[in-house]
Amino acid sequence: MARARVEQQPATTGNTLIVVVGLGIAFLLFMAFLNVVKSGNLLNESNLLYAALIFYAGAGALYLGFGVTGTDSYVRFASIATWAGLAANTGAVAHRWYEAGHPPFASIYEMLLSFVWTLAVLTIVAEKKFQVKVIGTVTMPVAIVGVVLMQLLRTDVHPLVPALQSTWLHVHVTLAMLAYAACALSFALAMVFLIQDKMKTETFLAATSLFTVGVYAGILTRFEKWGGLSLIAWNAQDKAEVFVQKGVRLFVVIPDLGWLMLLVLLVVAAPFILYLIGRVKKDESFYTVANRAVFVSILLQVLALAVFLLRASSGLYSSLDAEGLYATSLAASPFILSGLVGGIFNSLLYLLLLWRRADLERLLPTADNLDRITYKTICIAFPLLTLMIAAGAYWANRTWGSYWSWDPKETWAAITWLVYAGYLHMRITRGWRGRRAAYFAILGFAVVMFTFFGVTYLLPGMHAYA
Amino acid sequence: MAAASSTIRRKVWQSLSSIKTGVVLLIIVVILSAVGTLVLQRPVTEADEMQRAYSPQMLSLLDKLGLTDVFHAWWFVALLILVSLSIVAASIDRFPNAWRYFARPYKSPDRPFRRALPTQIQIPIPDEETGLVAAERSLHGMGFKPERVVGSDRLSIFAERNRISEVAVYIVHASLLLIFLGGIIDALWGWRGYVSLTRGQETSIVGLRDGKQKNLSFAIRCDGAGQENYKDGTPKKWWSQLVVVENGRDVQKKEIVVNDPLVYGGVRVYQASYGPTGKLDKLVVNASSLAGEKKDLSLSLDQTVAVDADTDVKLAEFIPDYVVRDNQVYMRSTEVENPAAHFIVTSKKSGKQVNFWLPPLEGFAENEQSPYQFTVEDLKMGYYTGLEISHEPGQWGVWAGVVLMCVGLAFVFYIAHTRFWAVPVRDEKGNLVLWVGGTVNRNRDAFEQRFQDLTEKIKSELKEMKPAAAFRRKWLRSPEKN
Repeated sequence: MARARVEQQPATTGNTLIVVVGLGIAFLLFMAFLNVVKSGNLLNESNLLYAALIFYAGAGALYLGFGVTGTDSYVRFASIATWAGLAANTGAVAHRWYEAGHPPFASIYEMLLSFVWTLAVLTIVAEKKFQVKVIGTVTMPVAIVGVVLMQLLRTDVHPLVPALQSTWLHVHVTLAMLAYAACALSFALAMVFLIQDKMKTETFLAATSLFTVGVYAGILTRFEKWGGLSLIAWNAQDKAEVFVQKGVRLFVVIPDLGWLMLLVLLVVAAPFILYLIGRVKKDESFYTVANRAVFVSILLQVLALAVFLLRASSGLYSSLDAEGLYATSLAASPFILSGLVGGIFNSLLYLLLLWRRADLERLLPTADNLDRITYKTICIAFPLLTLMIAAGAYWANRTWGSYWSWDPKETWAAITWLVYAGYLHMRITRGWRGRRAAYFAILGFAVVMFTFFGVTYLLPGMHAYA
Repeated sequence: MAAASSTIRRKVWQSLSSIKTGVVLLIIVVILSAVGTLVLQRPVTEADEMQRAYSPQMLSLLDKLGLTDVFHAWWFVALLILVSLSIVAASIDRFPNAWRYFARPYKSPDRPFRRALPTQIQIPIPDEETGLVAAERSLHGMGFKPERVVGSDRLSIFAERNRISEVAVYIVHASLLLIFLGGIIDALWGWRGYVSLTRGQETSIVGLRDGKQKNLSFAIRCDGAGQENYKDGTPKKWWSQLVVVENGRDVQKKEIVVNDPLVYGGVRVYQASYGPTGKLDKLVVNASSLAGEKKDLSLSLDQTVAVDADTDVKLAEFIPDYVVRDNQVYMRSTEVENPAAHFIVTSKKSGKQVNFWLPPLEGFAENEQSPYQFTVEDLKMGYYTGLEISHEPGQWGVWAGVVLMCVGLAFVFYIAHTRFWAVPVRDEKGNLVLWVGGTVNRNRDAFEQRFQDLTEKIKSELKEMKPAAAFRRKWLRSPEKN
């Protein structure tokens, strides 16, 4: 149905979106400006970040609009908005650097600030240099989530604790950022390769709905008695998690939220189950039903996100471990929040592929080229990973007296390195090309993501700062 | 028998050197390392925390499997050695071939080679010499150094660049082995320990990680240590003034801070922590006599100071946080919360001793009998500086390996072995042509473009050279038919 509606639109009406987004940006900037006039401080970090958020959101809307309608002029305006957002973001980074007196790598907030900046730069590079125009549809929402997460985190400039006062910190972290960004790019290229390699749309359906099922299954590990969902308690005054004792966090239970998440899990699982049935019965009509189920699941996912946002950001809840009522916050559950947003976004990307596959195939480079660019990106990422680990080892040796202590972050960095080393060996000596190489690149990036986020939040260790 | 053992040897070698074995071994390493990060590890995590995290049965099972200290388990080390052996075997297996490429470059292509080479072209030339000169000039123009190869039957041109690229991957493998070697040396002969020193203290005994003790051939003395804070009270800098003492002489002095260790005789001393010892450093008291005389005295624990010709005072006890229970004074904590000091005032003449307490604790204090009343002017607590001490004889292997690996990777990824050949031959129709071929070991796209450039260049050179060639043709023998 939606497909028919989209195709009936003549290309000229495409200007409406540009006008709407432009007016929206202008209005939001004007409101912000009024606020600034009152307080009298124009160019501070939070204003710049706010401007960056508005421009990134505008760019994201236009990129998505381009993805859905295929109107070329959207991309032009989207990249203008991206440039504007990047300018504001650069200002915020520079301001932070100046205020803190060190490059913004010291806390998770500062890392995010740098990460979003890198992402915007990469988007522009990918668009201008490699002609991968739709890449903004993927990167801009990530940038938006990043900026929103930043608003939730501690922003005050932390002085560097003695162990971090080293040039090697900057070398190590810069290399890590570059390496991870290159890995992210190789992942995106591998995904695009699979589209160009004529991988069946149903396979993407299965993969995306499995991913979403994984997200909700992960969230439901926090399922508590009587349908509650337990979240980490948050002290709004200190902007910090609440601890019962050293290393043990206090959890609060939001009643009934667990049931909702369980319901969404069942709905997002439906497309996958339908896909399996269709596959077994060799009946394609099941796929059509599955696609409709994806549409329904997006609506429910949005509902889940909205309820989560409302309930987690306000209200006091009881805890199973301690007396009294405690508050929680979105900042206390960055994983659940990113999971929810990521799930929606993942399903939307699938719809984009479902509806506009022909256009995407026309706009993207050929499969052969993508395969080669993916390999080249990894050829850049791998030496960067090597240098990053080496710089980290050297720094650790100067600080802790040991270049390798099998700390989880170190171990996972080594695992990442080994996975990419495996990719290179298979590609060079065994001639792995195309799909198998693309799967390998995707696996590599999954490991990178775990090393970056998973280890910090899920595993104990010395890399407590970032 | 001999045949069987040689087959077994060959089979072991084959499976060790195969890339499949290497990949399987690496997958096992990856899985075990991942397990090692998911299960809490023994030396880092304290015993009671382990007990809190796992049930007793689970913990004993994990301990039995060795999963609570994966990275120091014998089987993990054995696995890493197997990986090293596999890398060595794979390299030895493949190296001779690559070395042949490297040591004896193939300069004069024969007919089967010319037929099989994918990237090649034939350019008509007026005569052999003109063609060779044109090829030489063009290659020069592209930054190559072409050489004339005198074959058994003809002259040809060969040019190449970055031959090292053929063996670069072995540089990377060798560097990995160097890193492993460094790690193994450190695992066998290296050690790590910790000492804490207060100002003026000296030690040559280090408490090691595994609970043992190590006697150093020299001693370390701390001449001072301190902490600087940011405005918000978080620590900015820890420093210690250290002196290395060997055979009673001060041989090296350095103020170390975090990230800047002292190195002496292969032993490194790192600033690791800084904190209060809970013990008194100096107590400054004001003594006032019944006659109204006042005097400041500085006392440390167990120190006796003369107040006047007859009276001595000794600081017998200092309790940073006291509590009185059942007629006993106890120490509740080492933090200066509720301090109490016990002085003993002695008269030399009469030998009479008086217990003076601050504050005057009931049942203990005989303050009113003392010839002097004491009040506290200043209280200085002692601080310790925590020092990590390590000896890593293998680290130079590791750093050398890291540098070598970076060089090797740069060669592997960014440098391609490019080769060009030019041979004047007769084509099928018997016309004289210059056969130009080229090959590269990676980055084909850029190479194809380059080959295109080269052929364009040769063609334009030939166009320019035509008149001269026509003149020279008479003197040159015509090329033999191929």
